[in-house]
Amino acid sequence: MMQSSSYPKFAVVGHPNKGKSSIVSSMAYDDSIQIGDTPGTTQVNRGFPLKVDGEIIYELFDTPGFQRARRILSWLKEQEPVSADKRGDLVKKFIVENREHPKFKDEIELLEPIVNGAGIIYVVDASKPYGVEYETEMEILRWTGQPSMAILNLIGDEDYRDQWKRALGHYFRLVRTFNPIEATFRDHMELLESMAQLKEEWTKPIQKAIGILETLHQQKIEHSVDTIVSSMQKSLSYIYVAKIKGDSATKLEEKTAKLEYQKQIVKYEREHKQEIEKIWNHRSIDKAEDALLLDDIGLFSKESASIFGLSQKELIITGASAGALGGLGIDLAFGGGTLFLASLIGGAVGGVGAMVGFDNIYDVKVLGQSFGKRELTVGPMKNLNFPYILLGRALYHASVMAKRSHAQRDFVNLGDENSYTGQVIDSDMRKKLERVHVKLRARNVPKDESIKEYRDTVLKGLLGLLG
Amino acid sequence: MQTKNSNLSIKTYLDFSQLLELYRGDHEQNRSFALKREKLLQNPLKLLLDWSNLNQFRLTEELNSKSYLSYLSRLSSIFGLLFFIIGFFVGLGLLSYSGEAPVNIIYYLLIVMVVPLLSMTLSLLSMLTHGGVADFFNHLFPLHWIEKLFSTLPFAKRVDSLDSPLSAELSKWIFIERIQLLSLLFSFGLLISLLLMVVVKDIAFGWSTTLQLSPEVFQSILASIGILWEGVLPSAIPSLELVEISQHFRLGRRVDPQMIQNADKLGAWWKFLAMTTIVYAICFRFILWLISKYGVKRQLERDFLALEGVQGILREFNTSFISTKAPKQEIHLEIVEDSIEQVSDNMYKSYNTIFGWNFLKDEIVLANDAKEIRGLAIFAVGGSSSFSEDESKAENAKESVLLFVKSWEPPTMDFIDFLEILIENREVHEVQLYPLGTVGRYYDSDAKDIAIWRRKIQGLKSKKVWVIDDAE
Ligand SMILES: Nc1nc2c(ncn2[C@@H]2O[C@H](COP(=O)(O)OP(=O)(O)OP(=O)(O)O)[C@@H](O)[C@H]2O)c(=O)[nH]1
Ligand SMILES: [Mg+2]
Repeated sequence: MMQSSSYPKFAVVGHPNKGKSSIVSSMAYDDSIQIGDTPGTTQVNRGFPLKVDGEIIYELFDTPGFQRARRILSWLKEQEPVSADKRGDLVKKFIVENREHPKFKDEIELLEPIVNGAGIIYVVDASKPYGVEYETEMEILRWTGQPSMAILNLIGDEDYRDQWKRALGHYFRLVRTFNPIEATFRDHMELLESMAQLKEEWTKPIQKAIGILETLHQQKIEHSVDTIVSSMQKSLSYIYVAKIKGDSATKLEEKTAKLEYQKQIVKYEREHKQEIEKIWNHRSIDKAEDALLLDDIGLFSKESASIFGLSQKELIITGASAGALGGLGIDLAFGGGTLFLASLIGGAVGGVGAMVGFDNIYDVKVLGQSFGKRELTVGPMKNLNFPYILLGRALYHASVMAKRSHAQRDFVNLGDENSYTGQVIDSDMRKKLERVHVKLRARNVPKDESIKEYRDTVLKGLLGLLG
Repeated sequence: MQTKNSNLSIKTYLDFSQLLELYRGDHEQNRSFALKREKLLQNPLKLLLDWSNLNQFRLTEELNSKSYLSYLSRLSSIFGLLFFIIGFFVGLGLLSYSGEAPVNIIYYLLIVMVVPLLSMTLSLLSMLTHGGVADFFNHLFPLHWIEKLFSTLPFAKRVDSLDSPLSAELSKWIFIERIQLLSLLFSFGLLISLLLMVVVKDIAFGWSTTLQLSPEVFQSILASIGILWEGVLPSAIPSLELVEISQHFRLGRRVDPQMIQNADKLGAWWKFLAMTTIVYAICFRFILWLISKYGVKRQLERDFLALEGVQGILREFNTSFISTKAPKQEIHLEIVEDSIEQVSDNMYKSYNTIFGWNFLKDEIVLANDAKEIRGLAIFAVGGSSSFSEDESKAENAKESVLLFVKSWEPPTMDFIDFLEILIENREVHEVQLYPLGTVGRYYDSDAKDIAIWRRKIQGLKSKKVWVIDDAE
C-alpha cells in the first residue's frame, strides 16, 4: 500500500521548462522560487504546504522535469508483470533500488512525492505541438496509479490546445488551462476546485483551503487599506522642524528644510510600499523596483500630478463641497493659496501641472519658542491636490501588487495608468476623503467616524482597481 | 474598563513603547504567542503586557523609562518633602499664639478647607476637560510654574530634551495626580503641626470678622462644616457657648480669672480644626488622589493600545497565520553564460547519417526536403523507440552526422546520453545539431530556444558537436 497522510498532496510534474515552477510560484504566493529558461532549473522536489496556524491543509510539490523517462519505463516493463493494482509498488521498487543511481536523480525526485500519495498535476506547454515522446512520461505516471490531471500552460503565442486535449484525454480525466504568469486570484481558486475533484477524500480539505485562501485574500486587502490609510495620515500631517540660529530663516535654511520635508514624505511612501509588498508576498520585488514607473515619476513631479492628481475642475468642486475652503482661510493669505485662488477665478492657469507648484505650498513658519530657541517648521503640505496624488499612487501600487502573479519575474509593468483617477474615485468618494484631508492639513486629529469613512472609501477605491 | 486586571504602570508603558520601536515580531511569532495563551485573547491588554515582558530582553540599550522615572521620582520626592515641610511651617505660623492675640480659626479654616476645596474643584475641572481647556486649568496651579522653573535645572534638562514619550492627555493626568499627592503631604504637615502645637502649647483660639456675623449663625456654619463627623465625634463640633465666648472682642484685653477659665474651654477648638483638616484636606484629597490614579491608569491603557504598531500586533494575535512557504531551502542553479563556441551555420549538402530526435521518419524526410539535404541513412530516434535501439544506431553511425531536434523542446538527459554515444564513436567525425522550429513556422526557431541548445552543447565541451544557428 502507498502511505498516505491525512492531507492532500499534489506533485506538479512534466517535461523540463514547461512552467512547473511558475505554477507552483503562483499557487504558493512565492516569488523566490527559481524560474528560468535553462531546463533543469529545479533539481530537487520541494513541498509548499498551505498551513493554518501550523496545521497543514494541503501540500504542493515542485519537482524537476523528466530527464530519462524512456529508461524508467523500460526498467518498469522489464520487471515481472504484475496486475494493475500492484504497479504503484513497482514504481516504489524502482525508487528504492535506484536511489544511488546518478542517472535517475531527477526521476526519483519527481516520483517520490507521487509514491508517497501525491496527486499528479501534469504540466505541458500547449503553445507547442504535441509529440509522442510525452507518452512515455504519461505512461510512467499512469503506472503510479495516483489520481491525476493535466494543465495546459501557454508559454508561447501559438495554440495547440486541441491537439493536446485529444492526446491528454487518453491519460487524464481532467484537463485545464492555467497560465501562471497571468493567473488571477479567481483562476487560482478555479484550479483548486478542479484539484478537489481528483479524489473523493480530497474534496473537503481543498474546499477548506479555498475558504482559507479567500479569507487570506480578503485580509490582505484590508491590511493594505489600513497601511495606506495610516501612511496617508502620517504623510499629510507631517511637519519638519529645524532649529535655526537667527531671527528668521535664511534662504538656504528654508530650502534645506523643504528638501528634508520632501525626503521624509518620500521615505514614508517607500516604507508604505514595502509594507504593501510584504503583505502580498512580493518580497523579491525591490530588485525590480528601480524600473517601477512609480519611482521614475517622482512623487513631487508634474507627471505624477497629471496621472494621479485631480483635474482643476474636480479639485475645485471637491474643495468647495467638502468645506475645504473654510479650512483654507488662512492659506489663502499665504503663497500657496494664490495658486488655488487663481484656478478658482477660472482656468487662468492652464493644465493640471500648474496646480502642482509644490514650492510655495508648504506652510513655512518660524516659531520663537521658549528660552530663545527658534524653530523653522515646514508642512503640512497645503497643496490641495497632493493627498490625491499620494493616495492615487498608493492605490495604484497596491492594486498592481495584489494582481501580480508570483510567477512574474519581470519588472512591474504599469499599463494604462492614465485613466486611473477618474476610474476609481468618484466625486462622492472625494468628498469623504477631503473631510479627512482638511483635518490632517490643519494638523487636527480627525474624528474616528471620519477615519472610518475614509478607510471605507479607500477600500472601495482599491476594490474598484482590483476589478 | 480593564483597569482591574492589568498591572500597567508608566514604566511598563514606556518600556513597551521603546520595545515597539525596535521589535514587533512577525505574524507567525505573534500568532503562536497568542495561541499559547488562548484564554487571554479576550484581554488584549494583558496579552500585550505578557508579550512585552517576554520580549523585554531585546532592549539592550538603556531604558528610556529609567531616566524618565528617576526624573519623575526625584521630582516627586523633592517636592513631596518640600510640601510637607511647608505644610508644617504654615501650620506653625497659623498657630503661633503669643499668649496675647488668640489664633483666628477663620484663617485656619481658609487654609485647611477653602483653599483645598478650590484646588480640588480645579483638579476636577482639569480631569473632566481635554486638550487646551484642561491645559488652561493646569496653568492655574502654582505647581505648574514651579515645575517649569525646575525643569531648567541641570539634571532635569536631559529628560526635558528627550521627546516627551507621553501623550498630552497622559501628562495631564500624571500632573494632576502629582498635585493631589503633594497637597496631601502639605495637609499632613499641617495636621502634624496642629497636633504638635496642641501637645506642647496651650493655644487659645478665637474668631473675628468684619462681617456682621452673629455667634448663632457662625455656629450653624461650623456645625454644617462638621456635619460629616457629627454622628461619630459630636465633641468635635463647637457648641454655641464656645463660639460665643471665643468671639474676639469678648475675650478682653487683660488676663482676668474669667478669661483664664475660658481659655481652658477655648482649647476645645482643636478637635474641630483637626477634624476639618482630616476630612477636607486629607480624606477628600485622598479620594481625589485615588480618582486621579485611576485616571492615570485608564489613560495609560488607552495610550498603550494607541501606540503605533499595537493594532498590527493585536491583529496578528487574532488572525490565523497562513503560510505557503517551503520548509526546504532551494539551492540556486548557476546559469552558464552563452558564447559563440561550437556554433556554426556551415551545413553540408549531404550527410552520412541523419537523425531526427523525437521526430517521426516522415517528418525527417520532409525537413530534408525543405532544407535540400540528403542522408545515406535516416533514423528516427528518441520518441517511442527504446534506448537500446537508439544506442546501436548511434554506434553504427560514421563520418558526418546531422541531428535534428525540436528547438522548442529543451534537451533532456536522455538526449545527452544519446549524443555522448555519438561523441565517443570514433568513426563519427562531426555532429551537427540542428534545432528546427515548428512546421507551422516553416522550421523557424526562437533565438531564445536556440540559446538553450547552444548553452547545453557548450557545456559538453566537445569539439565534435556544432549547433547550427541560422536564426538571423
Ligand atoms: N510567457 C510565459 N512564460 C512562461 C509561462 N510559464 C512559464 N514560463 C517561462 O518558461 C520558463 C520555464 O519556466 P519554469 O517555471 O522554470 O519551468 P519548469 O518546468 O519549472 O522548468 P524546470 O525546473 O527547468 O524543469 C521560464 O522562463 C518562465 O518564465 C507562461 O505562462 N507564460
Ligand atoms: Mg522548475
